[in-house]
Amino acid sequence: MAAVDIETATVHPGDGHVAPDANYLVAERTLRSWLVTRDHKRIGILYLAMIVLAFFLGGVFALLIRIELFARGRTIVDAETYHRFFTLHGSIMIFLFIIPSIPATLGNFFLPIMIGAKDVAFPKLNLASYYIYLLGAAIVISSIVIGAVDTGWTFYTPYSVQSASAVVPMTLGVFVLGFSSILTGLNFMVTVHTMRAPGVTWTRLPLFVWGMYATALIQVLATPVLAITLLLLAAERVFGIGIFDPKLGGDPILFQHFFWFYSHPAVYIMIVPGMAIVSELIATFSRRAIFGYFAIAMSSIGLAVLGFLVWGHHMFVAGMSEFGTMLFSALTFLVAIPSGVKVFNWLATMYRGSIVWASPMLYAMGFIFLFTIGGLTGLFLGALSTDIHLTDTYFVVAHFHYVMMGGTVMGFLGGLLYWWPKITGKMHDEALAKVGFAFVFLGFNVTFLPQFVMGSRGMMRRYYDYRSEFLRFHQVSTVGSWLLSLGLFITAYVLLDALWRGKRAPRNPWGSAGFEWMTETPPPVSNFRETPVITRGPYDYHVATPEELATGWDEVADDEPGQGDKS
Amino acid sequence: MTIERTDLQHPAGDHGLVATARFYWVIFGTLVLLTVLTVSASYADFGQANIVIAILIATIKASLVALFFMHLWRGSAFHTVTFLGAFLFLALFMLLTHDDVRTRGDMDPTYGGTVIPRTGQVAPGGAPVTSATADMVETARPAPLR
Amino acid sequence: MTNVSEPTNTRAELGGQKSARSSSAFLAHHFATAAQQLGAAKLGMWIFIATEILMFGGLFCAYSVWRGAEPEIFDQAHHFLSKPLGAANTIVLLFSSLTAALAVRSAGLGHRQATSAYLFATIACACVFLVVKYFEYSHKIHLGLLPGHCFGHPGFSEAMRGGREVGTCLRLDASDAPVMPEWLRAVDESGRVRVLPPRANMFFGLYFVMTGLHGIHVLVGIGVLSWVLVRNIRGSFSVQYYTPVDLAALYWHLVDLVWIYLFPLLYLVGKPE
Repeated sequence: MAAVDIETATVHPGDGHVAPDANYLVAERTLRSWLVTRDHKRIGILYLAMIVLAFFLGGVFALLIRIELFARGRTIVDAETYHRFFTLHGSIMIFLFIIPSIPATLGNFFLPIMIGAKDVAFPKLNLASYYIYLLGAAIVISSIVIGAVDTGWTFYTPYSVQSASAVVPMTLGVFVLGFSSILTGLNFMVTVHTMRAPGVTWTRLPLFVWGMYATALIQVLATPVLAITLLLLAAERVFGIGIFDPKLGGDPILFQHFFWFYSHPAVYIMIVPGMAIVSELIATFSRRAIFGYFAIAMSSIGLAVLGFLVWGHHMFVAGMSEFGTMLFSALTFLVAIPSGVKVFNWLATMYRGSIVWASPMLYAMGFIFLFTIGGLTGLFLGALSTDIHLTDTYFVVAHFHYVMMGGTVMGFLGGLLYWWPKITGKMHDEALAKVGFAFVFLGFNVTFLPQFVMGSRGMMRRYYDYRSEFLRFHQVSTVGSWLLSLGLFITAYVLLDALWRGKRAPRNPWGSAGFEWMTETPPPVSNFRETPVITRGPYDYHVATPEELATGWDEVADDEPGQGDKS
Repeated sequence: MTIERTDLQHPAGDHGLVATARFYWVIFGTLVLLTVLTVSASYADFGQANIVIAILIATIKASLVALFFMHLWRGSAFHTVTFLGAFLFLALFMLLTHDDVRTRGDMDPTYGGTVIPRTGQVAPGGAPVTSATADMVETARPAPLR
Repeated sequence: MTNVSEPTNTRAELGGQKSARSSSAFLAHHFATAAQQLGAAKLGMWIFIATEILMFGGLFCAYSVWRGAEPEIFDQAHHFLSKPLGAANTIVLLFSSLTAALAVRSAGLGHRQATSAYLFATIACACVFLVVKYFEYSHKIHLGLLPGHCFGHPGFSEAMRGGREVGTCLRLDASDAPVMPEWLRAVDESGRVRVLPPRANMFFGLYFVMTGLHGIHVLVGIGVLSWVLVRNIRGSFSVQYYTPVDLAALYWHLVDLVWIYLFPLLYLVGKPE
């Protein structure tokens, strides 16, 4: 099956009708057709543009933090501004970048394709989700202009009630963003339940879809509690309701219960999609059926459910009852199990597989290594006795950066590189992508590994100044952040450069058995020319026909002088 | 419960059969009766049982609305799973939060941070020392400063 | 394996041709059958209802924590809520649920005018509910039974205050010096004079936030039902397609469900003396 020739794809510019077999990028070319699109693929790209901007903005604050911490005392800003830096870094990275990142971009793009559907269940709602996200992001950004927030992204009472900073606009913005998240999750759940093509049974769902489904489950159940938390915080600030204020009869720890009931499942919203991508990458680049498919699928659901039971582990020293802390600690050890199940199954998949070290596979390997470190260090934090010493230190900071950045961001970048040919129809420069990976991996470790050490030696988080014994650690960490930024810029360059100068991509450049590779590159507007009938699983390399696994490099080579870049 | 059959074309799903208007009125009547019951019960003093009775009656009313007005009774079972699943997670939230709030200070009366051992002063809004824990507070008093 | 039995919409839509099936005007392009579309719509609505249960549930959790901590305050303060008005509102909402269910039934039978009538009745009941709420709220504001800082508004009569000065919307100053009076006395709904501790503001905080959020949902419900009513009058619905009526009614029943729990927990539970 030859790739669609982009230059001659059917286009109906004037009559508003979209020929469903035209490639989705060129079917309509007006700005309006992009901004009011109901096509999940275009919405995914719209999200991607915003997500990248958010990542960049959050990253700028990260670099500012690290520059400030390069030397003791004041380096570039005063303490009040520094408090705003880390609050904004956290809030933007979490609410504007990482929570929507994989589901809204790659999930939106590939969930319907992977189940053989034409679109998500509610395309207009999907577009609404995007604009709600934009509105929330605008409100959050405006809060920065008004005066920004200095409470830390966790908005703990009583300080968040008393602080003179722009808490209400920030919480209002996050409230709005929460609805975008809920509606996306709702859309995905209904899509998976009701729009699978013939033959796509629950036991043949790609693991990426299982991951998206589990993520959607968490989004739908947890985010409403964040909504009410923020509403109560705003009411507390504006009307002085007193629900979190001991002087008015309230309890500040109740705020933490409310907040973490969402925010702990939120971290599973962040990591489960990353894991879902890694499952896809490892299967393709080991060219083997994934080992323990059902275990991995169920572990995603297990994380979703168990993740709701452990929120108290963020509150061990907050003043919670001792019995409560013991209960939460025990449950926290339980939730480590599904993650372990995944890691072992991935390794078993690779064993005796035909490994291809393409750049997405490098990111998958990076994920496994870094997420394992992050996950294991989480156990120190889950144990009560060690958490007393490690809580609110840089150990925690390093832990969550290892799982969120070393985990989710690695998965996201790997997924982008893996699916970039399918999304854009262009092949990127693999060699440069690997260079980018090297800097990202190296820079990340140089940044965050010293933070484990200084955290265990007593360096507290969110501190503007520190003792001299931590100076070297901070300096190494800051240099690491520059290496990391370099790697990220290289990767961004690789992806953008492919759009203009990339060679045309064949249908299935990686030779994957996944369902999304069965359709054209880039996909037509309705995803498949005819509703597919699936007769095998997405990892069944032993069952797939040579045609399905054919990469299509030969056809590309025939059409253009010189070969595509397939390292 | 009489169900009126219709010969009209309906898409598949629980639009297939339509209940009679009389059936809905009967449910409404029941709901009104239960409301009268719960209001009357609130004028009597059953002590702790008051809240249990109120919630029980409210749950019966809610079930009637959910089962018959919202068509869970004849609809897809998965809708019921979704509905009850939300309550399940809510129950988890309430359970574990209450577990914390109810057991503060149980294991170590001064850990809750509500009493300054040296002076016995209770923090505002904090749990006071009970007679059962008073002597524990005594022994927790640190040695006097020199 | 199973073959595709439905005609693919791709072929049907090529060149702008309408599908050969009748009444497919309501069928979106990405669904294969009307049954699939309806199933997706209802599942979506139920998941949305689940999210609302969790959102309101957070408030009920806060309520339960506070009730457990300060039962005496709840006992005293709830007498300031009018049981007759609350019960009336409950009956009104239950009746509106009935009319919403009857509206769905008529829509399913194709009785357009009956559907409009029932939808209108539902909206009317919702408005009655809000009017009653308005009276309840204004009475409380007049009495000064407001949450947080505003508790103890000078609406308390001079005689009750016993001559002490009570400022408007008192705030705690920066040094946390107590500026709230020790006790407040006011006349409750049954005419009895009651003495409220200053922490009673917590009860009224919960009352206003819970009923306020519920009231916002009632307002949104009025909007949604009105829009569905307009579409029904225009004839957008038929026996084959009346999903918006169904979904709007489901939302309305959710609003009713929340009130079914709010009413006893706020108005009815407490010592009945």
